Amino acid sequence: MDLFHNNPLFSGVKQMLNAFARQQIRPIAIKHDQEESMPWGLMKSAGALGLSQTAVVDGRKKLTGVEEDPDPKKPKQQARLAVTGSEELAWGCAGICLAIGGSGLAASPISRMGTEEQKAEFKRLLTGEDEQGHVFVAAMALSEPGTGSDISGLKTVATKDGNHYVIRGSKQWITNGRSANVYVVWAQTDASAGRAGVRGFIVARGTPGLVPGRKETKLGIRASETAQVHFEDVRVHQDMMLGGSGETTGGLADTKKMLDSTRPVVAAQAIGIARAAYEILLERVQGGSLHGTPMAAHQHIMFELAEMNMEITASRMLAHRAAWLADHHLENVAEASMAKAHAARTAQWVTSRAMVLLGEEALEPGHMVEKLYRDAKIYDIFEGTGQIQRRIIAKTLTGTNPT
Amino acid sequence: MDFALDDDQQLIVETVRRFSDRDLRGWAGDADRAGAPPDRFTHAASELGFFLDAVPADAGPDTSGMLEGDYSHTMRALRGYELGRGCAALAALLECNVEPALAVGKWGSAAAKQALFAALAAGGLATFVHDSRGNVIVTAEGNDVRLSGKLGPAPALATASHVLLAANGVLALVSTEGMRRTAITPSGWRAARWATAQLEAHRVPAEFILSRDPAATAEVLAWARTSLAARAVGVSVAAMEYAEKYAAERIQFGQPIGRFESLIRLRDDAMTTAAAARLLALHAAWQLDNKQPAAFDTASRARVIAGDCVTRATIDAVQIFGGYGFVNDYPVEKLMRDARAFEALHGDERLGRVLAQKVA
Repeated sequence: MDLFHNNPLFSGVKQMLNAFARQQIRPIAIKHDQEESMPWGLMKSAGALGLSQTAVVDGRKKLTGVEEDPDPKKPKQQARLAVTGSEELAWGCAGICLAIGGSGLAASPISRMGTEEQKAEFKRLLTGEDEQGHVFVAAMALSEPGTGSDISGLKTVATKDGNHYVIRGSKQWITNGRSANVYVVWAQTDASAGRAGVRGFIVARGTPGLVPGRKETKLGIRASETAQVHFEDVRVHQDMMLGGSGETTGGLADTKKMLDSTRPVVAAQAIGIARAAYEILLERVQGGSLHGTPMAAHQHIMFELAEMNMEITASRMLAHRAAWLADHHLENVAEASMAKAHAARTAQWVTSRAMVLLGEEALEPGHMVEKLYRDAKIYDIFEGTGQIQRRIIAKTLTGTNPT
Repeated sequence: MDFALDDDQQLIVETVRRFSDRDLRGWAGDADRAGAPPDRFTHAASELGFFLDAVPADAGPDTSGMLEGDYSHTMRALRGYELGRGCAALAALLECNVEPALAVGKWGSAAAKQALFAALAAGGLATFVHDSRGNVIVTAEGNDVRLSGKLGPAPALATASHVLLAANGVLALVSTEGMRRTAITPSGWRAARWATAQLEAHRVPAEFILSRDPAATAEVLAWARTSLAARAVGVSVAAMEYAEKYAAERIQFGQPIGRFESLIRLRDDAMTTAAAARLLALHAAWQLDNKQPAAFDTASRARVIAGDCVTRATIDAVQIFGGYGFVNDYPVEKLMRDARAFEALHGDERLGRVLAQKVA
């Protein structure tokens, strides 16, 4: 496995994004957390680095200078690059990392199952900026008020009407839900077909009946916008349905596969959060003293830092293994879930322990570790809760879902 | 041994529970968003005898709600648990006068008693600050001392007229007059009127130095730890009460999520730890009331387990709520923020224990 060696491609991306996170993300992290605001200026400058809103559709050539081998059987680097880079961005600020990459959630199904025409339309809707100078962003609209972990019971329906579909329903916890210029919305086209009937549709902002809803006030990742979105009889041309009409692929099953590829990336973000808290604690300990003795002379503190380092390293190994498998076109369902569940647990544990070890100072408003503590929690919830990850892992052991 | 409550205890527990369930829970969300208690809070709590419950009845003309006879830490722990179930931030304001009042009552000079009790009787607040990291430099000036360095963050410090300060073995009643304070609103206990203070050679006259005996500081810490532990358990149990209700209603994969064994475990483990932590806090309180030296250690242990408990229980309650747990419309994300102060205030409890035993 080449990830353990100093691979110049990965270490180059790591260095570049660490510098970006250190110089541009971290200095504004607290401000956007406190204001609950999107970092629009930074989102624009991130595009210059190749972290553009359409990177998933365009490929990552700009970011890495490397063209992926078009031969589908050859190993790829995409998953490992994403894992490497995401850790650095989330180390800067997970909320800002999600704001920069939020459109990727919607871009991913387009890239996987979109026609050339759909890709072009999606890209067109993401090119440019609005009258406030905000870059255009996309939203993936899948979850619903009654449909979180269990996505089989979607209530949003798309009814065929001539060459169009009419979409009706409400979506919840949608990243970029208020601001998006383009939505990929998932709706049931054929209730009798169950999951196979669920399809994605590309819907442009401004389409009559598309109503962005209330923005949520959240515990963490507050630089990333989360909102409800309502679809009140939104008419969409059938050409904008993913997977093409009459086919059985292109539905929700593909979406679930997509989650297998995003889980290592999400894991990497949680690792970035844990590492950030660990590093702040370590720096504090190196300079600090306790009643006249150096903090670093205390096992009580140093063994816990050692433990944190162990867990963070283990999480990173799991994430890179899952990504390596994906890049080599090997099954990684359980491995991706292990990576995500372990990283989420590590992030919650490291951030809460770091706060205890820092003492009262970590209670002060604007303390980075306190923010990291709040940011960490969502990693055990979104993109499949910790329970869902364990269910997936457990099912690979016996073939059945325990309840 | 008797675990049963007597009639007085039962009555007070029921009264506080009603206040907590109806008023504190009702106010908690808005108080959190506003970063301040509601207008009605002080009046309603005063009616129930809060704020002055540790002030001796002979300290002022109006003795209603004031302390007659010995203070009961057992009663305080029982009540703290109920208050924690309601709102940690408001509970902190209801409890903050106790340490200063008890300490001044026990070790204070006539001048210290006069200053503090008059201020509290006039509706003021006081707060206990323990300089757990050695940030405050104490220098002698004749029989007086001067204090320099940073205090807090501490709840109630923004409005308190007096601070009971434990620093460098000295226990003193410090007036906040002339103290440079910065009001802050942290993420947790947002309504609790927090502040930090910067002391620059702040003079404390000799008659306001309550004790130079480390045992006095240890005793005050035992009071504070017992109360913090009881309140932390209350927050833990509240988190799981909310989670239980939600899990019974939320259907995923064809059944209420509360029927999944993994979620039963999350809740049951939290409630098991909470039951143990509550008993330990009550045991510490009982030892304090019975003047047993073991109380100091029990109180510290109670805070260790209660701190672990509230951290785990609130994180897991958010987990049970899933995406709803992460947003402010539901009560549990606040509890996760509120959990932090229980482990942070007065310093890392385990660290204190380790250092004390290392010296021994």
